[in-house]
Amino acid sequence: MNNLCLEIKEASKKFPGVLALHNADFKLKKGSIHALLGENGAGKSTLIKIITGLYKQDSGKLLINNVETSLNSPTEAQNRGISVVHQERNLIRRFSVGENLLLNDLPKNKFGLINYKLVFERSKEWLELMDLNIDPRTVVSDLTVAKMQLCEIAKALSIKSKILLLDEPTSSLSPQETEHLFTVLQKIVREEDVSIVFVSHKLEEVFELCDQVTVLRDGKNACTSESINKLTRQNLVKLMIGREEQIIKSEKKVVSDQKTVLRLEKINTELGHHDINLTLGKGEIIGLYGLVGSGRTELAKCLLGLEKIVSGQIKINGNEVRLDSPKTALDRFKIGYISEDRKKEGLILMHNVLENAGITIWSKIKSFLSFLSDKAIHAKVDPFIRELEVKTPSYSQLISNLSGGNQQKISVAKWLAAGTDILIIDEPTVGIDIKTKSYIHELIIGLAKKGTSIVLISSDMPEMISLADRVIVMKNFKIEGNEPNSHNYADMSSKIMAYIHD
Amino acid sequence: MFKRLPNFAVTNQFGLFLLVIFFVLFFSFFTDGFSSRFNLFALSRVVAIDIMIGLAMMVVILTGGLNLSLGALGVSAAMFGGWLMETVGIPIIPAMLLTLAMGGFLGWINGYVTVKTGVHSFIVTLATMSIYFGMMTLFTEAEAFRKLPETFTDFGSLKIFNKYVSPLLLVSIFFVFLLFYFFKFTDLGRKLIAAGANPDAAELSGISVGQMFIYCHILSGLLAAVAALMLTSRIGAAIPSMAGNLGFDWLLPAFLAPVLGGTLLSGGKVTVFGTMLGAILVTLITNGLYLIEIGEFWIRFFLGIILLLAVLLDKAREFFAQKSNVLS
Repeated sequence: MNNLCLEIKEASKKFPGVLALHNADFKLKKGSIHALLGENGAGKSTLIKIITGLYKQDSGKLLINNVETSLNSPTEAQNRGISVVHQERNLIRRFSVGENLLLNDLPKNKFGLINYKLVFERSKEWLELMDLNIDPRTVVSDLTVAKMQLCEIAKALSIKSKILLLDEPTSSLSPQETEHLFTVLQKIVREEDVSIVFVSHKLEEVFELCDQVTVLRDGKNACTSESINKLTRQNLVKLMIGREEQIIKSEKKVVSDQKTVLRLEKINTELGHHDINLTLGKGEIIGLYGLVGSGRTELAKCLLGLEKIVSGQIKINGNEVRLDSPKTALDRFKIGYISEDRKKEGLILMHNVLENAGITIWSKIKSFLSFLSDKAIHAKVDPFIRELEVKTPSYSQLISNLSGGNQQKISVAKWLAAGTDILIIDEPTVGIDIKTKSYIHELIIGLAKKGTSIVLISSDMPEMISLADRVIVMKNFKIEGNEPNSHNYADMSSKIMAYIHD
Repeated sequence: MFKRLPNFAVTNQFGLFLLVIFFVLFFSFFTDGFSSRFNLFALSRVVAIDIMIGLAMMVVILTGGLNLSLGALGVSAAMFGGWLMETVGIPIIPAMLLTLAMGGFLGWINGYVTVKTGVHSFIVTLATMSIYFGMMTLFTEAEAFRKLPETFTDFGSLKIFNKYVSPLLLVSIFFVFLLFYFFKFTDLGRKLIAAGANPDAAELSGISVGQMFIYCHILSGLLAAVAALMLTSRIGAAIPSMAGNLGFDWLLPAFLAPVLGGTLLSGGKVTVFGTMLGAILVTLITNGLYLIEIGEFWIRFFLGIILLLAVLLDKAREFFAQKSNVLS
């Protein structure tokens, strides 16, 4: 007898033109927190979708508690005790926390109507298990992302799930929130007899939380259910990308002779930003660091004219300006914005590579009678798509068919093509694999060297410290600190955290 | 099998083309008089107008919205044109241009209200449908303009190509090519599509999405005015009820053509040639069923069935589009 609660044996899955999984193995021990790692396109998502019943493997076996099983739908997987926890996707935002937790089995009174008293009582117990001190009557949309996520886990437990899959659960959490999540996860593994599959790109977290690890590369096992104690970070990276990791650092720059490109003076906004003062030099990278909800992305949107600025001045190259729309920002002041949400705000998934990469330059290259040919667009964007080494069979490929990393490259390429002077880059490497990540880091540094001024918004502390010239710390829609980057991780991170938690 | 999806629209249009051929052959064999000179001429006059109506709806569906006021708007513009020609006595060409301007203006009202209030175009155009039709009836006192210049009405009964075809069809085909060129090869056309496909991403890429949506509604109004002018020329008079009460008679062909043609109801995708083929198919079936003499009710029944099937097709397209997303 072994103590495996889930086992995949030699699973293969083929898609047209791609062998997504090739004889992959996976063993989840009872009571284990098991990391599933791999670059984008390595087959992680396919494996998860097989485990959750969304796909069926072409060959190979799936065993639950050592019994061979076939799962035909996500509902069936759920009935067998397997749940996936997404960040906040499976909650109904207008419903209360309590209703959401018990949605599948709401307690009724003798007339068959919902017994709300019981709903809130029972859900309170689950919330307490999560160490969540919230009223179950709270409407979900009023919660922070982190709390929504914990509610999702509570919901999964309430339907007696024994295997939880967490897909990039920490990508928008602050270090404290991540810490809380980990404590809760360890507790439910101990007390509720639950096993966890943890998918993340952040290796630090894997070492902190997990006891076993499976790495996929190109659809095959690079290692199977290895004990984490036997591996180092370098080992893991090598397993994932097949070579050693290169760490990139921006060099310290002489800041004195920098011309100020953008200056914010005493900006107050309708969203609640208070007394924001900020300068950005030519070729400078400033980092905006802060917790999710501290007002960084919102500040960027105010600069683009999407949200109202109530008072204060914006000066570009010394002249006071009014930014009323992204169109004005781009056409008149050459300000670009790479969104953190590339699928919703960055790209048009149903359109092809050429349409997406060229969208910012259509107005510029149109000729007589607004005529615009694919050829002209192609000529303009091709150098950038090549420079970024985007992997696509052709420029008429739909964006939705590209991998996440390549999608991100396209959303960067369109702003390179636009030739901006100021580029606001929001969480450029969330959900991006290590190889593409270091590539994008190099690119940002290269852009700054060529004279583009960059505002980098990131919740990834190592990324911030390796890229930014100055780190500006935001909290509650205010600027708390402005710290020149010493490029010393320990020193910088403690300084930054001090601003957030004073 | 999903890899071929980018060509799905192409195969969809090819399928439509095959269906058109099938029904032409079917009705030629099984009805008397389908391929007669008289019937084909009549058919071409109807098709011409249905194509324009379909295109007028298509450009609003592009925004993910719809235009229920299409018929009321078109008739209002045409009555305005009739008044200009008959009562005011303006020459034909300027009168037609002013009619188009009126169509564009009414479309602009639809677009402006939709964009500025953020209310769905369903509600806005439901209201303007009633408003436009009401105002039109008020101004015209429900009287038709029957003494239009002969040059104008003659065009509608002119026969070309060995008397088989109405020149109205050439007008429609001209607009089909114009729109195809517009959406494929112009800066503005592409921006309209981008705005419809993903408003957030388009806005952040420096496109004024609100303005683009207003343009779509203006374009819809223009095209509806063209359709109404063509109808006026065909009937030989501008009649308040020429598109039925509140313009209802236009709604079914208006939705059928673009949806059959492969325009996504969720917006962001237009198929100009598909819409043309869709319009041809619908008119063909209607005409053929008339010739079989199965009765008016059955024709309505079949058109309803076809619309439902077309919507299911739209759902299937979305489903396949999502499947291919899951893959990545």
